[in-house]
Amino acid sequence: MFQKLITESTGKSPWLFHINAGSCNGCDIELVAVLTPRYDAERLGFKLTGSPRQADIVVVTGPVTKQSLPRVLRAISQVPEPRCIVTMGSCPQSGNVFRGSYSIVGPLSKYVDVDVDVAGCAPKPEAVIDGLALATKILMEKRGQKK
Amino acid sequence: MTIIIDGLRYLAYILIFPGFLFCFLTGLLLCGIDRKLVARMQKRIGPPILQPFYDFFKLLGKETIVPAAANKTVFLLAPLVGLAAQVVLQLFIPVFQFNAFHGVADVIVILYLLLIPALSVILGAASSGSPYAGVGLSREMVTVLSVELPLVLVLLAVAKTVGNAIGTGLCFSLTDIVNYQIANGSLITRLSMLPAVAAMLLIIPGETGSHPFDAAEAETEICEGMLAEYSGAPLAVYKLSHAIKLLTLTSMFVALFLGGIGGGVMAMFTGVSPVVAGSVGLLLEILILFVLCVVLVAICVSLIHAVTARLRIEQLFKYYWTVVTGLAAISVVLAWYGL
Amino acid sequence: MMMQHYPILAIMTYFLGAFLIVIFGKARAIRNAVGFLATAVPLCLLIMLVKPVMMNGEIIAYWMGGRVPAGGYAIGIALEVDALSLFFGLLIATAVFAAMLYSFSYMSHDDNEPQYYTLFLMLCGGVMGLVLSGDLFNMFIMVEILTFAAVALTAFRNTVFGALEAAFKYLVVGSIGSSCILAGTIMLYAQAHTLNFAQLSAMIPGNLNVATMVAYALLFIGFCTKAFLVPFHPLAADAHGAAPAPVSVLISGVLTKSGLYGIIRLTYILFRTMNLGSVQFWLVFLGSVSMFVCVTMALAQHDFKRLLAFHSISQIGYVLTAAGLATALGVSAGLYHAMNHTLFKGLLFLCAGAVLHETGTTDLDKLGGLSKKMPQTTVLFLVGAFSISGIPPFNGFASKWLIYQATYQKAVESGNIGFVLVTICCLVTSTLTLASFVKVTQSVFFGQLPKEYENVREVSFGMRLAMGLLALLCIVTGLFPGLVTSFLTEPAARAVFGANTYINAMMGAGYAEGFGLVDALPVSFLSVGVWSPISWLCLLMIMLLAVAIVAVSTKYDQVSALARTAAAEEAAAAAGPRYGSGSLAEGKYELFFGGEETVFSQVGGDDMFWGFKHNWRHYFSFMHNLHSGIVNDYSLWAVIALALAMLYAIIVL
Repeated sequence: MFQKLITESTGKSPWLFHINAGSCNGCDIELVAVLTPRYDAERLGFKLTGSPRQADIVVVTGPVTKQSLPRVLRAISQVPEPRCIVTMGSCPQSGNVFRGSYSIVGPLSKYVDVDVDVAGCAPKPEAVIDGLALATKILMEKRGQKK
Repeated sequence: MTIIIDGLRYLAYILIFPGFLFCFLTGLLLCGIDRKLVARMQKRIGPPILQPFYDFFKLLGKETIVPAAANKTVFLLAPLVGLAAQVVLQLFIPVFQFNAFHGVADVIVILYLLLIPALSVILGAASSGSPYAGVGLSREMVTVLSVELPLVLVLLAVAKTVGNAIGTGLCFSLTDIVNYQIANGSLITRLSMLPAVAAMLLIIPGETGSHPFDAAEAETEICEGMLAEYSGAPLAVYKLSHAIKLLTLTSMFVALFLGGIGGGVMAMFTGVSPVVAGSVGLLLEILILFVLCVVLVAICVSLIHAVTARLRIEQLFKYYWTVVTGLAAISVVLAWYGL
Repeated sequence: MMMQHYPILAIMTYFLGAFLIVIFGKARAIRNAVGFLATAVPLCLLIMLVKPVMMNGEIIAYWMGGRVPAGGYAIGIALEVDALSLFFGLLIATAVFAAMLYSFSYMSHDDNEPQYYTLFLMLCGGVMGLVLSGDLFNMFIMVEILTFAAVALTAFRNTVFGALEAAFKYLVVGSIGSSCILAGTIMLYAQAHTLNFAQLSAMIPGNLNVATMVAYALLFIGFCTKAFLVPFHPLAADAHGAAPAPVSVLISGVLTKSGLYGIIRLTYILFRTMNLGSVQFWLVFLGSVSMFVCVTMALAQHDFKRLLAFHSISQIGYVLTAAGLATALGVSAGLYHAMNHTLFKGLLFLCAGAVLHETGTTDLDKLGGLSKKMPQTTVLFLVGAFSISGIPPFNGFASKWLIYQATYQKAVESGNIGFVLVTICCLVTSTLTLASFVKVTQSVFFGQLPKEYENVREVSFGMRLAMGLLALLCIVTGLFPGLVTSFLTEPAARAVFGANTYINAMMGAGYAEGFGLVDALPVSFLSVGVWSPISWLCLLMIMLLAVAIVAVSTKYDQVSALARTAAAEEAAAAAGPRYGSGSLAEGKYELFFGGEETVFSQVGGDDMFWGFKHNWRHYFSFMHNLHSGIVNDYSLWAVIALALAMLYAIIVL
């Protein structure tokens, strides 16, 4: 029963950690917009944390530049299990307009298992919330599997 | 036989009321109400009131990472000691007439016992070896330093007022302070106590590190500060003791300034059998205490949170040592001359 | 009646040990055996005196050569042990014993070990002689012995940078202090024609005139230099910075106590002036200033031992403040704090010594992360740090708590709102103390371990034993404040207020009454507060146990349990290559920051409390300019202090 309680809680309290992997700041602003009064993702329990140690969901924005890759992987690895990786915007999925640049080593899925992709340049807040809600479900599943 | 019953009674005090279980439930609930209130003040829907419970249980289920650079024993033990000290502290704060452990600690001791949870966070943070935690703990220490001075003055003012009235000159026992108020009306109605009340209202957010005074855990600049390396269950324990701290401080406020309200409750039960009156009265008192705590949280934590922006650490220090200390000092002087 | 001889035996054992080491000290075994016995025997002798003196209230008088007073004049040399002397004697013997135990391994790498032990024992003998002496001139001789032994010990490691300079400063200002004591003694002798304490204290209170008041000021300033009170505090910082750790224990735990003992003896018994508001103000003011100035000075330090030195004086300020209240509770609290100061300060200096011994530095900016290499020292240090910062239930809290009550009670009783400021000053100082020990803990024992200290090891058993002894005493005296006050400090405080008993015990019954003296104050130790550390500790332990059982019993954290299995590790290894060069598993247990191999960015000791220091920057820069480190300045301060004290004594008293 207790384990069930924990699993339930996992679905109701996903904390986000945001990594900027060379983003143009567009998606970053949109992510913060999700927490504003208009969309208020906090009603679903979302919260931005400052440290990867406390996060459940890692949101990566930006096309993963050469410089940022080791840091991105380092920060992702520091997130405790169970964790979920969400890419936000088209950049981390395809490279977007930066594709082919000498300094881009993306997409992110070459390096880690990405759970949810939220496409768009930048994605709409509704889409972001939807993606995060999906990630929350995956999080609960991950927690459930590990029983 | 009586020893066993007494032992069980005290165990119940420690574990259930006003100990661990009570603290756990009301502390997290207060925290949830605070979040909801802030959200409503910002025209948001806000998280469910039970959100802190979800957070707590979720964190229990997360992996606990101990950084390689950390001193493992201190890193894992510090949150537990902090929580235990916080709950034990709550045992010494009377719920109106009910006081589980009478004669263990007075107001000055409580002032110092309040340091132990803060110190446990500081030690835990220091042991993690993170530079962010280093900045965080330095700020936390300055915050403690800032809040300490006005808090001392408030306590001295109360001690002097009650001491004057009951004829001992000064009174440090929280139980006596509450009993005096039950007999003679709450201290908040005194002219000399009004500045102290204002100061205490400003001390509560500082002591709990809530919004304008949360330079120590500024998540946007120093990555949660002291808790930067904490994950999983130890983090849950920290969040819990933080929530309980909210309860402790608000119920301390009630005991110091609003203690008289309990007298009216007991008066309603004249003529009813004492056992029934005792238990129903206690339940009512707990309820009143909780409502008062919520009101206090709404005024001094949520409202200030919603309308202010974070202070820098040196602004925080200056604010507390000038404005708040000034208020408390006025109260001491007024109390001294018996107003 | 063997007991009569215990005091003289206690003093002589130290001196005898010193001489034996000069003669036979070449062999280590003999040296250590003599050193051990010479410090253990006096401790045992004094402990045996606890029952008659502390519990039965006897006063032991010993007249050398059997020259008892005749015709109301005390010509012979006397030793006296009342509860006050015995209290300080016990502190000294304990601290000395621990320091000696520590020295065996700590000093084993130094040259000239026999000389060290000789000086060490001379210093101990000097201090013990001072507190047990019943004679003003003997007291002066002992002051000289201990000052010169301390100067020599300060410069013992004369290869250390600053050691000779520190010793020189100490020599100059210390000599000014000693000369003051001599001058005061002479003036009193000229007035009263006797040097015996008991007789002086019977004769002086009735004959206060300008000459005795000047003598009072001279003696007072003399003992202030021994206690390193403001404005003599820079000496202590320099001396502690240079001296070996056990010597720091002696200087801080033992030597300052001799100064305090002198001040208490002087003001309460010899001159009986403590019922005057002006003297109370003088002591309380000096104590509070020392307390506050030194704690802020300590915040600005970045050397472990200098920081401890300033704290040492800050704590002495507490003792003086409490003693200056002239209430029974205040004196009892002050003495309690004096005892605690000896214990925790000794412990902290020994910990600093352990760090110095293993790493070769005490610079807070260079150290870090030693808790992994020296776990036991860390725990012992934390006990000391909690004690000095007044964290319940350690001993510093018990005594500070009594001091707060005593000051506030004094404020209420006297109706003087000024004493409230003293209470507040005490409380704020206590928090500042905590702040600076957080700084030390963070910079020395936690944080990241610099590369050059990878091979640091725990210190040897002998050193840990000495530290453990003091730490144990810190905890015990904190947990049983009732026992400490009823068996140690309250008898001592009674002795402080019972000057007549003392005079009569030395000079024959009825002597004091012959001078028309009555004991000034009623002795009541009532305090309004409640604090029962044992109950608190029991509650905390039950709670901790409950929390720990809940935390451990259920394995909520299934993932990390899973991760520990071999299968999971294999899976991770198989998955590894996919993550390319920056392996996902690699950084997991690293700290969360950029991950670059940059210079480690820990907050330096100086910037630790920026938020506080920024607001006080004018004060700090003023203090910085004031402490020039030039011995001429410090001598000038001493002279100014003396002049002010004389003026105050003549005009106000």
